[in-house]
Amino acid sequence: MENFSEVLALFLSVDNFLAIAVGVLIGVVVGAIPGLTATMAVALALPFTFSMEPVTAILLLVGIYKGGMYGGSITAILIRTPGSPAAACTLLDGYPMAQQGKAKKALKTALYSSVVADMISNLALIFFASYLAKIALNFGPPEYFWLICFSLTIIVSVSGDSVIKGLIAASLGIIVSTIGLDAVYGTQRLTFDDYNLMDRVSFIPLLIGLFAIPEVIDFYTSKVAPHLRTAVAGASLTWKEFKGLLKTIVRGSVIGVIIGAIPGTGATTAAFISYSEAKRTSPNKANFGKGEIEGVAAAEAGNNGVAGATLIPLLSLGIPGDVITAIILGAFMIHGLTPGPILFQENLTLVYALFCGIMVSSVVLLFVGNAAIRYFSVIADIPKTILLPIVLMFCIYGAYAVNNSTFDIGLMLAFGVLGFVFNRTGIASAPFLIGFILGPMFEDNLRRTMLISKDDLSIFFRGPITWVFVMLTIASLIFAIRRYWVARNEAAV
Amino acid sequence: MEKSEQQFVADSEPLYGRWNPNSALGGIFAVLAACFLFYVVPGYIVIPSDMQHPLLSPRFLPQLAGWMVLALSTLLMIDGLIKPPKREEVNEFRRGVPVMRQALMVAAGIVYVLFFEELGAIGSGVLATALLFLASGLRNPWVYALVIVFPVVVTLLFIYVLYVPLPAGTLWESLSLI
Repeated sequence: MENFSEVLALFLSVDNFLAIAVGVLIGVVVGAIPGLTATMAVALALPFTFSMEPVTAILLLVGIYKGGMYGGSITAILIRTPGSPAAACTLLDGYPMAQQGKAKKALKTALYSSVVADMISNLALIFFASYLAKIALNFGPPEYFWLICFSLTIIVSVSGDSVIKGLIAASLGIIVSTIGLDAVYGTQRLTFDDYNLMDRVSFIPLLIGLFAIPEVIDFYTSKVAPHLRTAVAGASLTWKEFKGLLKTIVRGSVIGVIIGAIPGTGATTAAFISYSEAKRTSPNKANFGKGEIEGVAAAEAGNNGVAGATLIPLLSLGIPGDVITAIILGAFMIHGLTPGPILFQENLTLVYALFCGIMVSSVVLLFVGNAAIRYFSVIADIPKTILLPIVLMFCIYGAYAVNNSTFDIGLMLAFGVLGFVFNRTGIASAPFLIGFILGPMFEDNLRRTMLISKDDLSIFFRGPITWVFVMLTIASLIFAIRRYWVARNEAAV
Repeated sequence: MEKSEQQFVADSEPLYGRWNPNSALGGIFAVLAACFLFYVVPGYIVIPSDMQHPLLSPRFLPQLAGWMVLALSTLLMIDGLIKPPKREEVNEFRRGVPVMRQALMVAAGIVYVLFFEELGAIGSGVLATALLFLASGLRNPWVYALVIVFPVVVTLLFIYVLYVPLPAGTLWESLSLI
């Protein structure tokens, strides 16, 4: 009871509610603008959180994440341009509905499905994260070493079209993560005697550079595309229709939760599995792909069911499930917190305050989403010619704010060019970021294991937990290679 | 579509030759990885004299990652040579982009990197945003009012709402001394 009052004291502040509302709003707006992504928005918002309390900062980023997940579906439905990869499934039926003059119904279905799925996902987070964290308290460095190895296998799933290119990007990310002074011996590594590099490569310039700058460069190295105007029309979703969709939404949410809790599987997979499951069991099978309302509900429920669940491995084990949670992991570290079982031991009040905020964010999404549908045409009609110079300004100011150094601005632009080259050559940027984050964790746990074992390598297989992670790593690798091989052969046919 | 028809369509899609983007990319990465492993790592990572085990070496992880890049880029090169990728359609919007548009973008980047502290956040913001508006060919003079409004608003937001300090500009300070 005493803890509960502490949680409320920490959570019930105007700043937290404001952070959630602003976060969700930014997420929906950015997600609704074609070409801008939730990942970019979370990366850009990170420097703003420096002066905030940790709970407020994390809630702002989570709000953007959740808003962005829904916002991506708006453009998918209205102009056939998914704001996020996961929303690609929504357009299969959402866009045909818009063409039939049912845009409003499709958008409302997407919103209500997203909110319900988000709620279910949050409940899963609250129930399972602490339980998993309790198990993780038994982990020592060898167990963590294998857990990181298992997490590194998620690189395969975020590699895009080419696994080889993704693995190259991840290796490059690992190399960049080793720049700076060595944590054990204090010797210089790849610093080229530049004092700016001795304290490692700053996370924020790298993040903004990789995910926001390439959009800007791409825009100015292409001709100005005609600006698409949009319209929200037609009747809204009725209560009867919503009740009829509930079964599909709950099923999609559960699929999203299960998939979201597995690192690296992602919202896109969840959306497509949920969609195909709805299609398989629906009496209107033939109408799927032609403007079936159930298709929109299933895709959005699967997509948003992932949002809360991806925070389960992040909070309980300290490993990111996707790119956005990798950024949120960085935010925790910037505020001096390390996600994982220790967080549940030492900062339980903070964890529960976060849970409260995450639940509130779903309700806020409902209101902000409704407003976004009404005022969408205003949001989406901001042309990129005006928008991108402002985005660049935020990038520059944000990168500078980390260390008050113009070196970081240069570093960010350099990573921006790298990200742009990656985009043009078909290399995914996400594996680079995962490699950059997990590389030091891998090295740290390897070294700690070696130091406590006094060079005895059998410690890596010391008990059932290590064996479980060894098996999971091998299984994940086999699964990834198999999937890559099947995709390669399918592409060849 | 029949399987034989699908095969025909797939076969008739244009492929790159042996020297395709994948083999070129693999070759470039392989050369860079070799330089990294045999020049950068030995020259710029010091091994401490009291090191106990090779796995504890500061060189272990960079070398492991470097060898991975070398192996994977060789694989990418071979993959490109054996099985050239399909030729993708060139994006119409990427053809014939005016050089001035790209040059103005680079100039805006240079303003931010080289003159951020001299001109200050607002000064460099105004100049760079004006360059980017020019790059997009915006002609409405009212739009150019935003060139001043945006940097001022964003800077004030950073400084007074979020308490994140930004430079005022050393140039203005020295001018005020004169």
